[in-house]
Amino acid sequence: MNKVISLVNSDRTLVRWSTVIISLLLGAAIWEAVGMSFNQAFMAPLIGNEEHPGTLPRLYVYFFDDEEYLLSLVQSIQLFSTGFVLALLVAIPMGIVMARLITLRIALENYILALYVTPMIALIPFILSILGFDFWPKVLVVFLFAFFPILYNTLEGARSVKPELIEVARSFRSSELAIWRDILIPYTLPYALTGIRQASGRALVGMVAAEFFLSTSGLGEELITASRNFDMAGVLATILVITGLGITFMRIAQAVEKKYSAWRGVDR
Amino acid sequence: MTDAITVNGAKTGGAEISLANILWGTPVRAKLFAGLMILAVWQVGVALFAANFVAKPLNIIQVFPKVLADPAFQDAAISTLTAVFQGLAIALVAGTIVGVAMGRLKVFDRALNFYVNGFYTLPMIALLPLITIWFGYGADARLATIIFAGFFSIVINARDGARSVPPEYLEVCKAYRAPARYVWFDITVFSSLPYLIAGIRLAAGRALVGAVIAEFFVSLEGVGMYVLAHARSFKHNEAVVGVLALVAFGLLFELTINWVMRRYFPWYRREGRGE
Repeated sequence: MNKVISLVNSDRTLVRWSTVIISLLLGAAIWEAVGMSFNQAFMAPLIGNEEHPGTLPRLYVYFFDDEEYLLSLVQSIQLFSTGFVLALLVAIPMGIVMARLITLRIALENYILALYVTPMIALIPFILSILGFDFWPKVLVVFLFAFFPILYNTLEGARSVKPELIEVARSFRSSELAIWRDILIPYTLPYALTGIRQASGRALVGMVAAEFFLSTSGLGEELITASRNFDMAGVLATILVITGLGITFMRIAQAVEKKYSAWRGVDR
Repeated sequence: MTDAITVNGAKTGGAEISLANILWGTPVRAKLFAGLMILAVWQVGVALFAANFVAKPLNIIQVFPKVLADPAFQDAAISTLTAVFQGLAIALVAGTIVGVAMGRLKVFDRALNFYVNGFYTLPMIALLPLITIWFGYGADARLATIIFAGFFSIVINARDGARSVPPEYLEVCKAYRAPARYVWFDITVFSSLPYLIAGIRLAAGRALVGAVIAEFFVSLEGVGMYVLAHARSFKHNEAVVGVLALVAFGLLFELTINWVMRRYFPWYRREGRGE
């Protein structure tokens, strides 16, 4: 018994890979078995047959044989990126300005923290009844979800800028431009990138929420339509697509963050 | 938070008597001034440019006591809070078991890592249509959403915590042939506690959001539904009080945890992994 335990816990390449592969196969098998044994309106299998439409075949159809679905995907990505880029363009400059104007930072940081912890999802009904069903209200939802994590983390960076550095720069008569270029931006940017990573996850939730609760569109609409028709293969396939989007955004953000994280705490 | 940093005017000894110094001379004054400015801009801006039903600070203050005394609101708050606590408790127990197993035994880690990371990244809102089909349009769907929202952040933190057990402690246990229960309860659980706390914090925030989303989607009694119903019937002032209640729940939870930590575990300084 002990031998078996130490074998499966050992670091040998073969053991490592076979554990992962067996676990994945087991997961797939369970999914398939559950899907085949339940009503098709309740759960869809992974591969499936005529009677029980599977998730993977549906995914294939969505990507290679369904232009409307691809259009929905593009729509969702458009919504996400518009809101996200706007949040970036507003939040990062705001954070850096607050690194320069300390009074402003001290005055506002508690309010920004309060908004950072506010569940933005609760603001959706207000946006709906004030702004209506257009494209831009949905962008506002994504913007709000992404804005505060970025601003809050950039502010954290602004707090890390040592006042001595700015004082030294001043006493050597460096220009305002040089202060921004050589002190403020290098100090705050790595923190801002942490915020961007956090925001990419939140903005995805915002995107789906906006597509659910404001005018339905994009992947959210596909998801709702499929679930109303009890088309479980469609529901699961769309969930996979959304997860894929989330992982892609997260990976991009992580890669960028890693690249600049060396800047953080250069002289700590 | 009282920053010790001196603000422009106060740096010179605070002897200056100018308008700027009176308004934002110290951090506290600056914060108060900014808060008042925000409220004033909100009030005036909405009064001038927005429709009549949009929430204004003065009106919110007016309806605030009324909403708190409203039995419908109290029921909603109790309903949401009960569900969140139930869900968190279940997620905490199950998540800790899975997470600690993953942290201590490499088989579990390798076998489950893919699933845990995958489900953690999966936005819970996307699962709602599925959850409503499986659990019906009722309180069960909300509970399931809350558990799902909290479970994986607890697993990830419990795993990191169990991994962070100093190996020397385990070696000492082994050398003295300590029974397994000491190894688990006296060492593993205690050294992973700070990570678990971080996990609970994260899970609580997500669980609250999950509860609100589920209430929106299922039209279930609760604070989320209170906000939605009042916003839809253009009673925005009441709805804002609902949002404030949600923020208050989050802050209250955070403060309680901080207090418990300081009171009972004052030796912990480390922090687990955040979002």
